[in-house]
Amino acid sequence: MPKNYWNPYLAGLLLGLTLLAAFMIAGQGLGASAAPKRIVALGCETFNAQWAESNTAINKYFQGENAHPLKNWLILEVVGVLLGGFIGAVSAGRLKGEVMRGPRISIRGRLIYAFFGGAIMGLAAAIGRGCTSGQALSGGGTLAAGGWAYMMMFFGGAYAVAWLVRRQWT
Amino acid sequence: MSNLFPLEFAGEQFRLLTGIGVGFFFGFSLERAGFGNARKLAGQFYLNDMAVFKVMFTAVLVAMTGVFSLSAWGLLDLGELWINPTFLWAQLVAGFVLGIGFVMSGLCPGTSVVSMASGKLDGLVTVLGTFFGVFVFTVLFDKLPALRNLYSAGSGEVILLHEIFPFKFPALCLIMTVILVALGAFIFAERVEKIYQKKLGPGPLTGPDRPRMKYYVLGPMFLIALAAAIYDKPVMGEPEPLDLVAIEPLNLAERIIDGDPTLVILDLRSEEAFSEKNLPGAKLLRGLGNPAEYLSNLSDGMTVVLYDQEATESDVPGTWPAGLEYFAMRGGFEAWKREVLTPHEMNGSSLKEQDFTRRQNQIAGFFSGTRVQSKAAAPPPAMSGGKKKKKPAGGC
Repeated sequence: MPKNYWNPYLAGLLLGLTLLAAFMIAGQGLGASAAPKRIVALGCETFNAQWAESNTAINKYFQGENAHPLKNWLILEVVGVLLGGFIGAVSAGRLKGEVMRGPRISIRGRLIYAFFGGAIMGLAAAIGRGCTSGQALSGGGTLAAGGWAYMMMFFGGAYAVAWLVRRQWT
Repeated sequence: MSNLFPLEFAGEQFRLLTGIGVGFFFGFSLERAGFGNARKLAGQFYLNDMAVFKVMFTAVLVAMTGVFSLSAWGLLDLGELWINPTFLWAQLVAGFVLGIGFVMSGLCPGTSVVSMASGKLDGLVTVLGTFFGVFVFTVLFDKLPALRNLYSAGSGEVILLHEIFPFKFPALCLIMTVILVALGAFIFAERVEKIYQKKLGPGPLTGPDRPRMKYYVLGPMFLIALAAAIYDKPVMGEPEPLDLVAIEPLNLAERIIDGDPTLVILDLRSEEAFSEKNLPGAKLLRGLGNPAEYLSNLSDGMTVVLYDQEATESDVPGTWPAGLEYFAMRGGFEAWKREVLTPHEMNGSSLKEQDFTRRQNQIAGFFSGTRVQSKAAAPPPAMSGGKKKKKPAGGC
């Protein structure tokens, strides 16, 4: 039997303390979209180094002595997220191969939504220099004005289209 | 004393390794919150499970209370932190678009990793979608000028929320206000949840309702912020010296003749030298008592010109008010005597040079009270003269 999730305020406290620890230890906040950006950059460089090094969206990751797209704090942090998520799920009996979806949608439909939702988020995170973690959470936690703007617009965007995709969830 | 945090590491390798530990707790707390489960997250937007709002805001409030309190106590150096620069348009658009992607996939880039780690196939597919989206961006970036413009629209400066108010709003006071607003918003969210749970049922694996928990978490945060607002240890240490800009003696002379009301001239020399001869309207710095106090009575934007006998200083103490503009007369009083008070011979060949000498002589005439046209033994003009060697001068 999977255990219940924590009380949201308690989970928020632990998340907030983790974010604070990131600032105190590493001098930077948490982030998640840096990993896809840097991994894509590495992939581009592997397949076509010349193109990747002339591409102004990603060539900053190759410049400099000993620079490697994956040699970054946020990459190791995402490795930690994988571990933490896995241990968390195992210890609460929640590790299970499944597809989370509402009662009215097929698995295939749900996965199509998941893929294109992910693609839209990847695009948005690249434009906005961060996602909900890097902008809303970390920016919000340091009172960064742009981070707060991002957070408000994030909720706005999600509520704006929630009704259109309700079939997926309710 | 330098701040304790952020920690300094012997090498970048050590710092990188801390990422795994911090990331572990990041992933663990997201999993405990239920954020590995897309249905739980989506509940936020169908109003029957407001966990996203509660968890996110609580985390933001806890972190900002910690960051700004530690900073107020001199334990954390805000200037050493990486803080998101403001590219307002990019952030507004990206936030909105990411929100759309969020309600479609039910996950965000961070929570999709947790979802994948707890075995959910939709989490894995969302991660793959994210890679695809980033790849599309990478391909389009150099091809679409509109995309590049959106990406870099904005100042790129670090602007903090409490700085945008037209009045002085200390960060910790803003934080206390936000905590109170958030408490109200949490109470409201819980009411809305109740209503929609009747229709849609509670979110998955929701434990017993413990509404008092928000007070147990946010109450201490409010008290910490209050304590930090009351007892904040100001950052000690000498303020940075302010830069001095060089001003040509002749330009200064013209401004004196024009009767420029924004001009304040300070003489750095000894009382003896000052009383013998000085610039019109100049004040002896040593006679002012505390110069910083005298200067703070001047209105912002005033021009303060300093001069010594020969050389001039290159900066002024950081304790002097920063709203004034500080200049040093190039070459000091010697240059003033040589270039302004001494009339010059008409030896330039071009019309421009002759004009220049005429102007110079008019100025010299103004200050000496006589209108000498030219004088045989005068030194050649030194107007375009190179930089004089600077040496530290006494005085302030």
